[in-house]
Amino acid sequence: MRSSLVRQALILAALALVPGLGQAIYFRDRVSWRSPIPASEMVTVTQARAWGENAIWIDARPDEEFARDHVPGALSLNEDRWNELLPQFLAAWSPEKKVVVYCGSEGCNASREVARRLRKEAQLPNVFVIEGGWEEWLKTRK
Amino acid sequence: MKRTLEPGPHLSPLPEGEENAQRPVRVASRIVWRIVDVIIGGIFIYAGAIKVLDPVQFATDIDNYKILPWTISVGLAFYLPWLEMFCGLALILRRLYLGGLSILTALVAVFLVATIAAKVRGLDITCGCFGHASQNWNFPTHLALDLAILGALLALSVRVLPGNRLQNAV
Amino acid sequence: MRTQIFAVTLSIVICVTAHAELKWEETAVELHPAPSDKEAVGHFKYQNTGSKPVRFKSVHTSCGCTAAQSQKEEVPPGEKGEITATFKIGDRTGTQVKTVTVQTDDPTNVTTVLTLKAVIPQELEINPTFVFWGKGEAPNAKTIVVHAGKDFSVKQLKVASSTPDFQTKVEQTGKDQFKIDVQPRETDRIIAATLTIQPEDSSKTFYATARVTNAPAIQ
Repeated sequence: MRSSLVRQALILAALALVPGLGQAIYFRDRVSWRSPIPASEMVTVTQARAWGENAIWIDARPDEEFARDHVPGALSLNEDRWNELLPQFLAAWSPEKKVVVYCGSEGCNASREVARRLRKEAQLPNVFVIEGGWEEWLKTRK
Repeated sequence: MKRTLEPGPHLSPLPEGEENAQRPVRVASRIVWRIVDVIIGGIFIYAGAIKVLDPVQFATDIDNYKILPWTISVGLAFYLPWLEMFCGLALILRRLYLGGLSILTALVAVFLVATIAAKVRGLDITCGCFGHASQNWNFPTHLALDLAILGALLALSVRVLPGNRLQNAV
Repeated sequence: MRTQIFAVTLSIVICVTAHAELKWEETAVELHPAPSDKEAVGHFKYQNTGSKPVRFKSVHTSCGCTAAQSQKEEVPPGEKGEITATFKIGDRTGTQVKTVTVQTDDPTNVTTVLTLKAVIPQELEINPTFVFWGKGEAPNAKTIVVHAGKDFSVKQLKVASSTPDFQTKVEQTGKDQFKIDVQPRETDRIIAATLTIQPEDSSKTFYATARVTNAPAIQ
């Protein structure tokens, strides 16, 4: 009976693998296997740097952290002073630019929230979140 | 010539007179257990289907338990709903019945432990078991339903133990 | 076999429901701040139900917008206390979930995650908050849709532009729903304006931005 049970369980497990794999392939662009943000909305520091002048960097961290140090040329845009800081960012923005948002680290949520509001409220296209955030940028800083 | 009924595969042979007397009870009992098979199988097919429609959200729900890394959560989010549905189907169609029953019992037991552990750790999570259809249920409701499902699965398992065997073809 | 299954299940349930020495009254708090509030404060009460003192090793919040403080560093047996989490609302909107991770030297419960959920009332929902024209694009009006948030009612809307370069026209399109048509005077030069949107009978002000940008608009 035990071998029958195991055999049947293995058959079911194998059967479920087929549509599961198919769905994973179908959704490959909608979910990142590395972190909980859709793959199309995240970029690495290297990718963002490669965009050069076409990228506007946004620092989503609190004012004190931005004042201490930030990516050269980045603009501060955080949810503490969203209404005050948004116009200055929009003044620098134009439709062909890519917006890259970062906050403290991979675990920090502020960059995702700022990116979400830029996409949803301001309806801006090409808004990305930096994988690893400020910590990752520091590692790659020359 | 008297007709003799072969005893059903799930019963020990009885003297002929007693067998005829107990037949209605056995038929009723068989119907009841069939209904349980269909209800439990149906619940898992429904639960699996809801999660298949939004695997990204299900991955987030698994991740909220903070037990597994995100990559494993995504893998399970794509795999588990299909496994649930196939096992639910196994219960209803009575094909690969033993395998389906054991997988579902193991899944519910592991999930119950994870849910209680998350609650003890103070995590405020949505269950994820019925997708976001169950997001407004509170913890006691979830726990009660899951314990009831586990109870039904264990009862079905007891029925198929040696001496009480249910035959099925593969 | 049946007895074994039952025994294993029961022992698993018993093990994970054993309670820790530092017992929390609630580990998840939901707050509903008023529209004018600048902060939302959650109180997480605890009691040391064990026989040894419990020491807080760290209290760490999930973002810089939340500050958490423990009343005491060490909690003697039987004593009660609380951790206060202050969430700075700022210009945040919608439902905000912030966590406070508490680490203690209690071996049965080293880490506890306290959750603060703040449902920030949104008097107005503005969509989009930014309208723009490319340089040289036809200066046609673009529309911003405004509707009252859940549990709010707006009978009239006042809209003002910070510069005369953009004209605005407000029209009610339904119950608690309005549209604002925004039109630039010209699109030959870079101009911008902040639109101030205020519901009648409300002191709170909302904003949208209108601009003529330096590049052709996306078609």
